[in-house]
Amino acid sequence: MIKKVKKLVKDFGLGDIRAGMKITAKQLVADKITVQFPEERTPISPRFRGLHALRRYPNGEERCIACKLCEAVCPANAITIESEMRDDGTRRTTQYDIDLFKCIFCGFCEEACPVDAIVETHIFDYAFESRESSIIDKKGLLAIGDENEKAISKARLEDSKYR
Amino acid sequence: MVDIEIEIDGSVVHGHSGESIISIADREGIDIPRFCYHKKLSVAANCRMCLVDVEGNPKPQPACSTPASAGMRVHTNNEKAKASQKAVMEFLLINHPLDCPICDQGGECELQDVAMEYGSDVSKFNEGKRIVADKGIGALIQTDMTRCIHCTRCVRFGAEVAGIVEMGATGRGEELKIEPFLSEGIQSELSGNMIDVCPVGALTSKPFRYEVRSWQMNSVESVARHDLVGSNIFTQTHKGKVKRVVARDNESVNETWISDRDRFSYEGLTNENRALTPKIKVKGEWQEVSWEAALEAATSGIKKNSAEAFGALASKNATLEELYLLQKLTRGLGSENLDTRLDVANPSSTSALETTISLAELEAIDHALIVNSYLRLEQPMINHRIRKATLNGAKVSTVNSLTFDFNYRVANSVLSAPQNTLATLSGVLKALLEANSLALPDYLKDTKVDQAQIDIASTLSAAENAVVVLGEQVNSNPCADQVAKLVTQIAKASNSKTLNASATGNTLAAEKVSFKPNGGLNAAQMFTANLNTFVLLDVYPTYDCVDSTAAIEDLSRDDAFVVAINSFEDESVLGFADVILPLASFYETSGTHINIENVAQSYGASVKAAGDSKPGWKVLKVLADLLELPGFDYTDSPQVADDALSLSPNVATSEVDIIAMEVPNIATVWQYTPYASDVLTRHAQSLQQTQIGQISEAVVSAATAKILELSQGDCYKGVPVNINETVAEGCVFVHTNQARQR
Repeated sequence: MIKKVKKLVKDFGLGDIRAGMKITAKQLVADKITVQFPEERTPISPRFRGLHALRRYPNGEERCIACKLCEAVCPANAITIESEMRDDGTRRTTQYDIDLFKCIFCGFCEEACPVDAIVETHIFDYAFESRESSIIDKKGLLAIGDENEKAISKARLEDSKYR
Repeated sequence: MVDIEIEIDGSVVHGHSGESIISIADREGIDIPRFCYHKKLSVAANCRMCLVDVEGNPKPQPACSTPASAGMRVHTNNEKAKASQKAVMEFLLINHPLDCPICDQGGECELQDVAMEYGSDVSKFNEGKRIVADKGIGALIQTDMTRCIHCTRCVRFGAEVAGIVEMGATGRGEELKIEPFLSEGIQSELSGNMIDVCPVGALTSKPFRYEVRSWQMNSVESVARHDLVGSNIFTQTHKGKVKRVVARDNESVNETWISDRDRFSYEGLTNENRALTPKIKVKGEWQEVSWEAALEAATSGIKKNSAEAFGALASKNATLEELYLLQKLTRGLGSENLDTRLDVANPSSTSALETTISLAELEAIDHALIVNSYLRLEQPMINHRIRKATLNGAKVSTVNSLTFDFNYRVANSVLSAPQNTLATLSGVLKALLEANSLALPDYLKDTKVDQAQIDIASTLSAAENAVVVLGEQVNSNPCADQVAKLVTQIAKASNSKTLNASATGNTLAAEKVSFKPNGGLNAAQMFTANLNTFVLLDVYPTYDCVDSTAAIEDLSRDDAFVVAINSFEDESVLGFADVILPLASFYETSGTHINIENVAQSYGASVKAAGDSKPGWKVLKVLADLLELPGFDYTDSPQVADDALSLSPNVATSEVDIIAMEVPNIATVWQYTPYASDVLTRHAQSLQQTQIGQISEAVVSAATAKILELSQGDCYKGVPVNINETVAEGCVFVHTNQARQR
């Protein structure tokens, strides 16, 4: 009997609607969580694995020493490297290609790299206009590295204590 | 030797008393880590990595230098053994740089493997590491001595196997360095094996430096065909290119070693002089054409002329299949003009000498008489076996026209110019026969015997297992057949074995398929007979022919149609040839090599032929088909090899009479350095930069120089003259890498 009365009061007193409106009213003044991509971006973990880049040392020398460990560890065979002895006697790459269609972004390449040359940046919003542009060569990878060096080194630093 | 039983890790194994624990363990497949121990080198026991726990011993014992004794109980992986192995590994890594990513040994490094298995994962060592400055040791071996762990394998290899002590340990403790004694670099013809024995990346292959990583390559079993041994090798390939050649164990052929020539000749494959496309000459201009057009041109040119005017010349290094098909083609056309003996001064008198000794037996000889040979450079692996015998006390005598730098002591050395070789050998034979009081044949009646010949004869007859070796330089002798006969007689009289090293490469395959004229013209006669058609199989007259100028002149005649099936092009080939059919070179074709023991070793192609070139057996098969010759229905090279091997060569046993032939007062001995011996090695850059590769001198004595009006620094046949007294009177010994000149 009491149950029935309570239900009648709630139904005729617009109880559900008030509860709903209460949430609406709360959200009306609360901070907005919608991100206006691409103008706004969500925060990204320093370990995020996006587009690849090849880094340089502060003196401008490329880090990669053509050890080919990334090529060996890559589960998708996405990396192709050719090496040579440069005139100054150091071991360098003549070719460093990553096929982004093959890449599964597992991050093994950066794990394997003994000199932190190949890294995965926070860039995830990229597109190709033709099939063949899915392969980024050494020049392209170094350009990505040069452009994003600040962000890359910041992410490395943040993550360094957990490595 | 007594058979004993010992216990390793709880299992009972058998060995001989006195055998080291490690060799028993190796045979039984029990893994003991090691760096300095190598089965072919003496025991140094200086790396201490093979420490094992032997029950009853308070301290762990090195397995490589601890002889097994009956009832011994050995533990290779109990706590004590493991702890000592881990400790040794930690010490070894103290001064080893962590540069594995740029080290060519990375991935195939014994130190890496052992450190992974027996080492600890972190180092306690925080102090500075030792750095060792590099001294260049030549064009073949790259050094990174900071990586050296002082196992001294290379030092022992030099002292014990190569026979030239070139590397050594200087300094003590922290200052200990492994370095070459001389600044000129390593001179041994077997030096490349140091790369194989080095357990770390201290010694690596220089031409291979930074090319590819070890795990990227495929290893293909192959056989080297530069010499008479047919060393077993692995060609390591990457993306269709031979990147490196390493030794393949075969105890009866090359043990674990290969010569530098076999190891580094692959560089020639990518030389810019490779013939890559079929070409025909139209009105003096070369045109690159399709295979069909080139074969068509070759066929119509061959058909135009009569069979009598057809001649075929082949390289000594061609495969059995190629030689078989070319002789079948030539004989199918009805010609008997075919030969491989281009470098023989007088092909109608070739040294017919049977080899009666096996490579393994060479190690057990107690005396070797080496005639007309710089065996160390000509046949490094055969010389190595003889050197092993000398280490056990064998004596060596030589009859040569120059005093050569052998890597063992030569007991009796007789200098003899080619024109005197017959007299010298006759003297030895006479002394032998007289010593054994045997009847003298007529031709020895007037022979004078001197003391040196008696010495050789007495050592020969005193020896129980002697061998007489006849080398390449006999080819410069116009009476080579007589020399060979005397060698046979000397061997007979002294109950010795014989070894014919006078023709190298795959010559025994040419013998097998009778690639020599049976009534037709030989190599020298062909160039004077106005032949109209020549088929050359990998022949380069500037280097290969005794009288290269005359050969090229004859090939360049307007009425001579020349089909060159060549793997390389040089100016002279482009000059005289009318059709060039590009030939797959070494490692690019399947084939068969017949070695000094008459063992046929077949191998497959390691890589695809460069450019548009094709394997020789295919080219010759198609050419024969186009010439409408019967019996060329082959679909693969093993079929050709089967046919070729089923042949029994017609051994011509012509009686040779010893009659001193008229020879010039001053003879020339022409010997190529081992790195100019065939077309592939001539194009291998690194080999050419070595000291052996750069040898080029015409050695002549002062008296002979006076007669020839030569002085130091002059050129003799294009080769700089070197006047000294290590050479026999009356001869000019030309040891060079240069093309032949008149």
